[in-house]
Amino acid sequence: MAGGVGVAEVEGRPLLEREWIESARRGDASAFEELVRQYQEIAFRTAYLVVGDADEARDAAQDGFLRAHAALGRFREGAEFRPWLLRIVANAARNRRRSAARRADLAVRAFRDTASGDAAPSPEALLLAEERRDELLAAINRLRPEDRLVIALRWFLELNEEEMAAALDCPRGTVKSRLSRASARLREAIGESGDD
Amino acid sequence: MTDERQLRLEERLLDLGTAIAFPATPPLSALVADRLRQPPRRLWFGRPVGRALLLALVATVLLVGLAAAVGIALGGLRVVFGPAPSPLPSMVAGPGLGEPTTLAEARDSVTFSLRVPRLPGLGDPDLVYLAEPPAGGAVTLLYRERDGFPADPATNVGLIVTQFRADIGPEVFEKLVNSGVRVTPARVGGEDAWWIAGGEHFFFYRDARGNVVDTTLRFAGDTLIWEEGGVTHRVEGAPSLAAAIRVAESLE
Repeated sequence: MAGGVGVAEVEGRPLLEREWIESARRGDASAFEELVRQYQEIAFRTAYLVVGDADEARDAAQDGFLRAHAALGRFREGAEFRPWLLRIVANAARNRRRSAARRADLAVRAFRDTASGDAAPSPEALLLAEERRDELLAAINRLRPEDRLVIALRWFLELNEEEMAAALDCPRGTVKSRLSRASARLREAIGESGDD
Repeated sequence: MTDERQLRLEERLLDLGTAIAFPATPPLSALVADRLRQPPRRLWFGRPVGRALLLALVATVLLVGLAAAVGIALGGLRVVFGPAPSPLPSMVAGPGLGEPTTLAEARDSVTFSLRVPRLPGLGDPDLVYLAEPPAGGAVTLLYRERDGFPADPATNVGLIVTQFRADIGPEVFEKLVNSGVRVTPARVGGEDAWWIAGGEHFFFYRDARGNVVDTTLRFAGDTLIWEEGGVTHRVEGAPSLAAAIRVAESLE
């Protein structure tokens, strides 16, 4: 499961997506609406990770979609739409970050459908798993914002390298190094006991 | 920092990712659709433009008839006297001024060197918009009422300064003016300029597909247009040619 991010929907999307883009370019508002519907969650969550505030993220994602709409004519045919869009949305979010006073910590959902794993785990095992999650998330929340963002984009939104480069507005080549530096600092933060 | 440790960490991160409590995604498709249905967004400070007024103006332009077009070529800009030769309704559905942004971001986004009027008393623009297309971007600076630049009662805008690259490839900018408009040659810092005064005029461009795209849809006051260093500039809303030139020559 990809946490509802939409990885599972990739199959069969490109053709439809291309049609939507083409129609939206010709001024078909409902086609653009479809594109927004398709990507609103990933766009909003990306913006949220950048600004750390739900209202700002909503406005940033909306700005991003409107900018994308205005720039559709420049979208290169055959290119991937998702990274193109995420770049615009993340930029819009970065522009808003200065006005967002505080950045909310990421939190874990109180109730989850199922725990990971095949067999039904014992209550003790569940509790332990919860604790380990909480501990890991607390460490992530303590990281520098840049490290937290890189880790969240990769592991919580499951963006690929191209999409991360777009969202971070950095060359593709530096995504790996940023991710590995952030991971190293996270491992440091959780200490030896965190992995053993 | 063994690979195994990293792999275990990644497994834990993936697992954690399924449990993150993101705020509920707002209904962006509806929000965006709403915004797209309002073409000249935010040009009117705090007041939605009356669609009827807009349509009346389009009709006015259409009524001008099929007079032969007379052109003033100015970089990527063509001033056309006469009726709109292509379907006008698309002008109403155009993207307007673009997206609100900041001066810094606008500077970073365009392919030309953006300039800002430094006329004393003008201060910073109240709103900055970035539109793209046109290729290379177009930036519009909006000022509310300023000393010597009274606000237009219909739009609440005192002054508008717009810049975009003149060498805009297949896109051809056109300023549509009707026969009640006077066009006066002028000079801005040694460059040829035109002062378009005394009537309603539209400003739009044709994209590579030949579609007419409205860029501003303003029924602006009088307008000074000139090209400098490959960039077309417009100053709209100044109360006189002299005032417009003062704004134009203060750009830096």
